[in-house]
Amino acid sequence: MIFQFGIVIFALLVILRTYGQYKKELVSRYWLLAFSLLWVLIGVAAIIPHTTDDIAHFVGVERGADMLVYIAVLVLLYAVYRLFVRVQKMHEEITELVRQIALASPKVPVKKGERGE
Amino acid sequence: MSLTVAVIPAFNEEKRVALAVQDALSACGAVVVVDDCSTDRTNQTAYAAGAYVLRHVINRGQGAALETASDFAVRNLGADIVVHFDADGQMTAADIPYMIEPILKDEADVVLGSRFMGKEVENMPASRRAVHVGARLFTLLMSGIRLTDTHNGFRALSKDSAKKLRISLDRMAHASEILDLIAARRLRVVERPVTIKYTEDTLEKSLKIQGGSIARTIRIVKDLIKKRLIG
Repeated sequence: MIFQFGIVIFALLVILRTYGQYKKELVSRYWLLAFSLLWVLIGVAAIIPHTTDDIAHFVGVERGADMLVYIAVLVLLYAVYRLFVRVQKMHEEITELVRQIALASPKVPVKKGERGE
Repeated sequence: MSLTVAVIPAFNEEKRVALAVQDALSACGAVVVVDDCSTDRTNQTAYAAGAYVLRHVINRGQGAALETASDFAVRNLGADIVVHFDADGQMTAADIPYMIEPILKDEADVVLGSRFMGKEVENMPASRRAVHVGARLFTLLMSGIRLTDTHNGFRALSKDSAKKLRISLDRMAHASEILDLIAARRLRVVERPVTIKYTEDTLEKSLKIQGGSIARTIRIVKDLIKKRLIG
């Protein structure tokens, strides 16, 4: 019971906070709606746990909680993949930046004759 | 008269880079050293030895340094041939005329040095030999190019092929990437025997930096797989 209650409170806080960020134009409307919907669903699942069981049965998983764990793992894997791609891209951009800086200021050798040697 | 430019990526090579630059200058019109954010006097030493010196303000690895140097050689110096050379004196510039010959005769776009074609390898450790056999097989499978030596840093590229081979893998996997690109761009490639000296000094260095052949190989393969998955 405490667990359920905690989740609902947490979900409400997250939604409120996201709304606040939306007001400050820190996140897009799309993000606000998607994120709020997610937390509403989480809240519903916490209050009426058998809804997740029903959905789980529908898609062929035995328990709702199991299904949530499977979904969470997939979402996290995808998030890691996206981050990985982004970091890789950033590495390439840093290299390009470093390259342009290097190309902009080459040290040109003095020819031996010109140095008077 | 065509201009041959040697490009040398260098990271903390103050002890050896001057010799490498002077050696390369004996066979090339100009030498470009990319100081890959060295913390020693590599930059000054290379410059004093007569090289063009470019500095990476952040260490980006050998592949990135090679690309920067080639870019500079072709675009700023108007190089007709770019030679990939080493900072640590493992290679000898006496091989350069033989390396560039097929390009001058327009028989090849890319010439790769090979340690296993006739000339003797001095002091190559057995563990490293084993890694090379695996690397040859890996390259044949991945790029479809049959070579006697796959990860030799000694290369000569015509101006056009240097432009076509943009190296994007920053660290050591660029050697395999270059082979992939040669295959993808359908460039004419030949091998030439070269002498590579393994001195105690350089072996010790590569152990320190890369953690030995096995760890290095794992890292290269990892970089390549990453490239194939998301590149």
